[in-house]
Amino acid sequence: MHDFVIETKHLTKIYGEQTVLEKVSLHVERGKIYGLLGRNGAGKTTLMKLLLGLASPTAGEIKIFQKPIKGHQKQLYPHIGAIIEAPGFYPNLTGTENLEIFARLRGLKDPLAVQEALHIVGLPYRDKKLFAKYSLGMKQRLGIANALLHNPKLLILDEPTNGLDPVGIAELRDFLKDLSVKQGKTILISSHILSEISLLADDIGILHRGVLLEEGSLKELEEKNQKQTTGGNTLEDYFRKITGGKGIA
Amino acid sequence: MKIFLWAECQKLRRLSLLLLTIFAVCGIAFMVFIGGKSTDYGPPYLEEAGWYMTMTQPWATLLVLPAVIALLGSYMICREAEDDTLKSLLLVPVSETRLTAAKMLLTFVFSILLYLLLFAITFLGEAILHIHALSTNMVLHFLKSYFLEGICVFLAVSPIIALVAYWKKSYWLALVLAEIYSFAGLFTSMSNTLRTFYPVSAALGIAGYYETTGLARIQSSLVLLACGGISVLILRKLKHGRDE
Repeated sequence: MHDFVIETKHLTKIYGEQTVLEKVSLHVERGKIYGLLGRNGAGKTTLMKLLLGLASPTAGEIKIFQKPIKGHQKQLYPHIGAIIEAPGFYPNLTGTENLEIFARLRGLKDPLAVQEALHIVGLPYRDKKLFAKYSLGMKQRLGIANALLHNPKLLILDEPTNGLDPVGIAELRDFLKDLSVKQGKTILISSHILSEISLLADDIGILHRGVLLEEGSLKELEEKNQKQTTGGNTLEDYFRKITGGKGIA
Repeated sequence: MKIFLWAECQKLRRLSLLLLTIFAVCGIAFMVFIGGKSTDYGPPYLEEAGWYMTMTQPWATLLVLPAVIALLGSYMICREAEDDTLKSLLLVPVSETRLTAAKMLLTFVFSILLYLLLFAITFLGEAILHIHALSTNMVLHFLKSYFLEGICVFLAVSPIIALVAYWKKSYWLALVLAEIYSFAGLFTSMSNTLRTFYPVSAALGIAGYYETTGLARIQSSLVLLACGGISVLILRKLKHGRDE
């Protein structure tokens, strides 16, 4: 019996005449890291927006913690931390001031919550640097800190490594693994970088032009690839095969 | 609501737009002061006790403050979309209605504070020029008048703030629209009927700048309340954060 934290059924999203997502059935198990892999424009961000209730599906069902997201946002959001696209903050405030606003709005009682979240992502507490002056990597770190601020059970991270340097990416990877293994948190992470996902995720979903082509554990996908004898044996080769393209970094 | 108001105050830290509003208040006070020193038509107007406080109020309302208040209000509402913070706020979760209400409430307070700052500057000018000619009654009358003007001007420009946010346009549009809207008040003030019903001149009537009848005051109050009501209706339709 699977214990899914996120489950979608035939999820479809159409903007005008463009089908962005088509019958996506996604399954994210409790305590696991699920890597959503796809090229730019594959529909990863749209899927995450739908999961979070920031957009309405054209058809299909979404369940988060076994509850439909629609109508249950108030109950579900306190258990979810998310970054969607580039994290937005107030440019005239420092990182600490920005997080303090979100902490108060979330009703967090722990006075150290902001300090701890900043410490986790390696940003200084009570720094005088304004958000407007942050580098892309620092902005991304602050977004992650905001997602972690309230100690959520589920993290939905849309390309969180964008703008991070290689050391930052490795640190984030270790940190996310720790969160999953030691604290049992469920993480859905999207990326267009295959190597990043293969190093981090327990389960992988391959999204291509709005369609979820494959879903399974890393091992399962590698085994599937080996059965199909043409081409190479790596996950990248498999990705190339099923998307019919050049592969990704 | 207390936390929302606290958050909105925090967001205004180091904001250059706030300095611009204070600069605008000081600027109009300075311009009227310079105008009052003119001797083209006899002795300088400033020699007359109360002239400075009397004249600064309508000029500020017809030329500067509605535009500045509209700019500040629409900036506070539009910035969540511009800074891309709305989706993070919605995931807290934060009610868009309460968030907008907090922003409008803060704009309302700012409107009053800006008029009170203008009062303080003009009072200081009057006190320096002829302290002995000022009576407590006169000063209290002007204090009440400026205070009421702050309330009424907010109500008068509130539909512009709401419309700009609803159209999802740049907040600078609010400045332009409110400037045209307030300047038109200069012409509506010339007609007894129009000045009762045109929101900007109605604000001056309620505040006591014009001699008006009780009925005209009630009619002006209803017009301004209608402006506030229209803004509420528009703002309730705001749904910036979610895609359909």
